[in-house]
Amino acid sequence: MFDRIRRRKLLATAAVAALALTVGLGAGETHAQSSEKVTLKLANSQWLDALRGKNLWAAVTKYQETNPNVTLEQEAIPSAEFADKLTTEMGAGQGPDVAMMQEGLFYAIADAGFLVDLSAAADGAKLNKSNENGVIDGKRLGVAWQRAVYALIYNKPLIDAANAKVPTTVDELIASAKAASAATPGVIGFTARHQINDFSGWFMDFQSWAYGYGVNWVDANGKLTINTPEAVAAITAFKKTYDAGIMPIGDSFPTQRTRFKEKHAAFSIDNSGGTLNIASGGALQSGDLYAAPMPFKNPGAHQQIFVGVSSHGKHQKEAIAFVKWLVGSVGQQALRDASGPDALATDVPVSDAYSKANPWAPTFVKLAETSRSTLIKGYEVETAQIMRFVMQAVEKVILANADPKTALAEAQSAIDKQF
Amino acid sequence: MSANGLKNRSGLVKLLPYAFILPPMIYLVVFMFWPLSRQMYMSLTNTRIVNPNRGRFIGLGNYERLIEDPAFYVSLKATLVYTVLTVLIGIALGVVAALAIDRPFKGRAVVRAILLFGWAVPGVAASLIWLWMYNERSGVFNRMTELLGIGRFSWLTSTDYALGSVLAVTVWQVAPFVMLVVLAALQSVPQEVREAARIDGADGISTFRAVTLPHIRPSIQLAALLVAVWSIRRFDIIYLLTGGGPLGSTSTLVVKLRQTAFEGHELGMASAYGAVGLALALMVAAVHYTVEQRRMKRMSR
Repeated sequence: MFDRIRRRKLLATAAVAALALTVGLGAGETHAQSSEKVTLKLANSQWLDALRGKNLWAAVTKYQETNPNVTLEQEAIPSAEFADKLTTEMGAGQGPDVAMMQEGLFYAIADAGFLVDLSAAADGAKLNKSNENGVIDGKRLGVAWQRAVYALIYNKPLIDAANAKVPTTVDELIASAKAASAATPGVIGFTARHQINDFSGWFMDFQSWAYGYGVNWVDANGKLTINTPEAVAAITAFKKTYDAGIMPIGDSFPTQRTRFKEKHAAFSIDNSGGTLNIASGGALQSGDLYAAPMPFKNPGAHQQIFVGVSSHGKHQKEAIAFVKWLVGSVGQQALRDASGPDALATDVPVSDAYSKANPWAPTFVKLAETSRSTLIKGYEVETAQIMRFVMQAVEKVILANADPKTALAEAQSAIDKQF
Repeated sequence: MSANGLKNRSGLVKLLPYAFILPPMIYLVVFMFWPLSRQMYMSLTNTRIVNPNRGRFIGLGNYERLIEDPAFYVSLKATLVYTVLTVLIGIALGVVAALAIDRPFKGRAVVRAILLFGWAVPGVAASLIWLWMYNERSGVFNRMTELLGIGRFSWLTSTDYALGSVLAVTVWQVAPFVMLVVLAALQSVPQEVREAARIDGADGISTFRAVTLPHIRPSIQLAALLVAVWSIRRFDIIYLLTGGGPLGSTSTLVVKLRQTAFEGHELGMASAYGAVGLALALMVAAVHYTVEQRRMKRMSR
């Protein structure tokens, strides 16, 4: 009897020991897994940018130096297809581990519940106000990657040759652009997006005109209000510029940027990211490129890119650790050197040497203090749909000579039906 | 061989056609009918692209919105105009080109290769080349019109010219295909019948109408059907050249579908646009079928 009990005890002890050993081994395996090599896929359209893409990638891959178990891999998608591809991938439960997204896309992806909480990554970081929109419903779902503010940029030697002034109004812009074209044959006066086939870029650029004339797109009660006198003034000013014969009508914006880069354009309204592109590797020396506030009364817009971690990723813990490094002092300094004057997640000043070599940079830094998001407050996810109606109204005015007030009233009516 | 063996063998022979037809059927079910039925169902839901599996059934809600939306009619009109003109011009040019190179002449092989060039170039590459040719400032067309003293034209940004410009690129791509199909049909026209017509004193046009055309008509009809269906669903050329603008003048159903799915994230509504496109394509196929049936009846008399 006792023998049987002893045998049972022995068996039970052996079973517990075996279980403990298995659990122990399992725990050991888990630990081993965490130190195993993982690959994080980073999606960003900027990886494809000439020179800037290479510099940005060099900045982020510094993370691998201190984290040899992590390999970073690019998912480079052209900017025109970025939103389409990312929404499709993430909608299908796939996609990158980390994505650098324009604000509108970030809101759509966050709204679908595809981003993980980044509180752990942001904890302890000195995040600045450019991160405010990264918190949705009290949860930190994104941190700022870059904020690219808009400004009026100009080729200084061309302006000096024409003895033209740096404009502070639309009329002065038209006069100075004409003067520059007259002084140097073949030079285009002013470049700006102006076609519906470049819709997402055009509507974001146009927000600077709208905000410049005091447009809000929503009233004090948060109701969508499109047909305001301010919006009429903004469209009228755009139409005046379009009709002045100073723009290369029909050119895509990459073509216009290339023309600027090759010293064939005098003025442009562009953001700091685009300007950094123009200032890099072209005929126009960065020292000859200058920037000024836009020729409007009020501050303009900025494009904001957020970093988010996908809830579909297999290595979320490692991805959050990467974002934590990114918003830390080492990551931010690495990013600063590759980002020109774009505002980053924390306040890392542009160096004096950089400002001296790139005289356009300080203006962008200053304008970032007052610029506004291209998204409509309270309608962040629907902004593109709303702005489609607005840009169709702008198109009617510039191409069919429609009355701005009537075109905006039609847009308002369509928006009222849909939203 | 025993009676049982023979029976088994004849049973296997009967099954053999089904065995051959099974792989393509499986392929069609998995890659065509299943996605198509999913799309039709999706058009009855409020599915969003960022959450494709969480759509709620809303009945004919998307179609009601479609019918009430003036932009839908603009798209429908653009699609119909674009399709009809592409078929008419593409078929006409293709047939003329085929007739021109049907007869032997010096350098025919080179001419044939040149005429086929448009068909061989991928749509995206062709669109980007044409985009530059249409450029208002530096494009070759405006250089030519300036030399002729008639000034510059807004080929892609004016409502007067945009559709025509897009059509020109489409026809440039489509006509060589039509030419190829018609040329193959022309090769099979019996030479002796043509000869007989000529000996009877028929002129070129009469010979074409009485002998050649009836012979190549089925091929023309088939080419017209294919060109029409391709035009209804063509995206690359239109999207790259105009993006549906200016003022919606080139915003066909497919361009609108893309806009609804990816800008508005409304996959359900985009599926409804797709369903309308599918209905149009089926209508074209039905017309083709009816005309073909009538022709067969006539021939059997």
